[in-house]
Amino acid sequence: MTRDIWLQIAQVITVVVLAPLLQGVILQWEERIQRGQGPGIFQPYRDLWKLFHKQLVVPESATFVYWIAPVGAFTCMLTVPILIPVLTNFPLPLSDMGDILGGGLILTLGSFLIVVAGLDSGSAYGGVGSSRAVMLGILAEPTLILVLVGITLLAKAMLPFVVNHLLVAQPPVYWSPAHLFLVAAFFILILVETDRLPIHSSTHIEVYMIEEARILEYSGPLLALLRWASMMKQVIIYAIFVNVLLLPWGLSRQGFAAGALGAAIALFGKFLVVALAVVFVETAQSRLRYYRYQEPLGASFLLAILAIVANQLS
Amino acid sequence: MLAAHLPPLTASLFSLLAITSLLLAFVMLGSRWLVEYLIAFAAQSWLIAILSAAVGYYAGYPELYLIAILTALFRGLVLPYLILRIIRRLNVDRELHERLAPTSSLVAGALLVLFAFVVSTHLGKSLGLAGTVAVLALTVMLSMKLIGFLMLAVRGEALSQVLALLVLENGIFLGSQILVPGMPLLIELVILFDLLVVVACFGILVRYLVSHAGTSSVHELRRLRG
Repeated sequence: MTRDIWLQIAQVITVVVLAPLLQGVILQWEERIQRGQGPGIFQPYRDLWKLFHKQLVVPESATFVYWIAPVGAFTCMLTVPILIPVLTNFPLPLSDMGDILGGGLILTLGSFLIVVAGLDSGSAYGGVGSSRAVMLGILAEPTLILVLVGITLLAKAMLPFVVNHLLVAQPPVYWSPAHLFLVAAFFILILVETDRLPIHSSTHIEVYMIEEARILEYSGPLLALLRWASMMKQVIIYAIFVNVLLLPWGLSRQGFAAGALGAAIALFGKFLVVALAVVFVETAQSRLRYYRYQEPLGASFLLAILAIVANQLS
Repeated sequence: MLAAHLPPLTASLFSLLAITSLLLAFVMLGSRWLVEYLIAFAAQSWLIAILSAAVGYYAGYPELYLIAILTALFRGLVLPYLILRIIRRLNVDRELHERLAPTSSLVAGALLVLFAFVVSTHLGKSLGLAGTVAVLALTVMLSMKLIGFLMLAVRGEALSQVLALLVLENGIFLGSQILVPGMPLLIELVILFDLLVVVACFGILVRYLVSHAGTSSVHELRRLRG
């Protein structure tokens, strides 16, 4: 029992620690593909360190929302790893607090807090960023729900652990079209949620920015918390993708320390595979005009529907 | 019935082929470029050819191999080549006369698939076939037909209309391969030549349209007059 509690703590710490590293790797690979040198993979850690030692400048129009949003978002991202299989393939203490929908709810709560914070200070950019983020969210939400329904139909359960066990145990299910289409639909969702859609908006500090515009008013430690929270969100979504859907192998079965360590290393390896695909899409796919942002989302909606249709086979 | 008693892995193979051809129908629905339609149609025909060969192998109908070869040859090579020639001559490379934007038609197509899903699930239940490849084939067949009709309704370019008809026909062919394998060879041959006639007629019609109406959009054909 005590060991399980330590494992649960280790899951959260893994997410917290790996988040900047994954971001660093993705940023460097993007530059490398564009034939640049790119920052070192540990640069996000240095950025966070620097931001935590900076002065805090607060806009005069800010209310209490400005203060609680970063902390709340960070807390949400600390909560989700408890619910999903990060290191072990069996449920740990408190992981029965919520199923996949519950995890999705808490993730969305984190984004909601940031949206509200963007609106709070009344700056023009914050409002624009928030409205864009909500627009994309509205379009991404039906797909997310359909993907979850597809997973439920596949495994007859909404618990990520059950899905993981099913996919490991039955190769025909793993290779069934329903599962493959769910993987494809979820991949597009990853691009949306981590702000890496191939539309003309993922470049930073620019007229079409989405994610950056919402946190433009923040500085110092609060900005560091927000940055860290968004990196953690990326890691969490990647973890759900690889450990539940794409590569359900290589998790700790017994729960020993060595196994958990191996699972953490394997997890990072799986992240690298997904990151490679994401970087490839983001750099090789030509950027669409900003107002065509609905096209990838329409495609992922379609894939989710096809997955549900393919589920007829039982 | 063959489709009701298949080992799981074979069933997976069949459903993968069927669903991928449905996906290719959506590629046609979501794209604006005529050449992309054409490539998607050719790939779909090849998939259907593979499917009929697979059905022939697992159900033991040797004549299906011949049909597979003919399908790949006619639908996968000859028809796309003929249409490509028309596209080259007409100098149209993209759909300009659509009534519904590609993304909206994608979503409409998805809803049609859901409709087909509901219908065939009910049918499968009443026939006692629930959970087999037969129901899936029925869904794919119905939804490819509906997508074909949708394309006929929202696309204005004459060539899109030909391709929509061909998608419709591909859907019926795919469904018949899985649901009632072992149709007489003669019927299949007749269907293939029928398609050739359709494409040839449309080629003539399109040239007539261009020379008389000065456009390749069928929206100009308002009056039933010679």
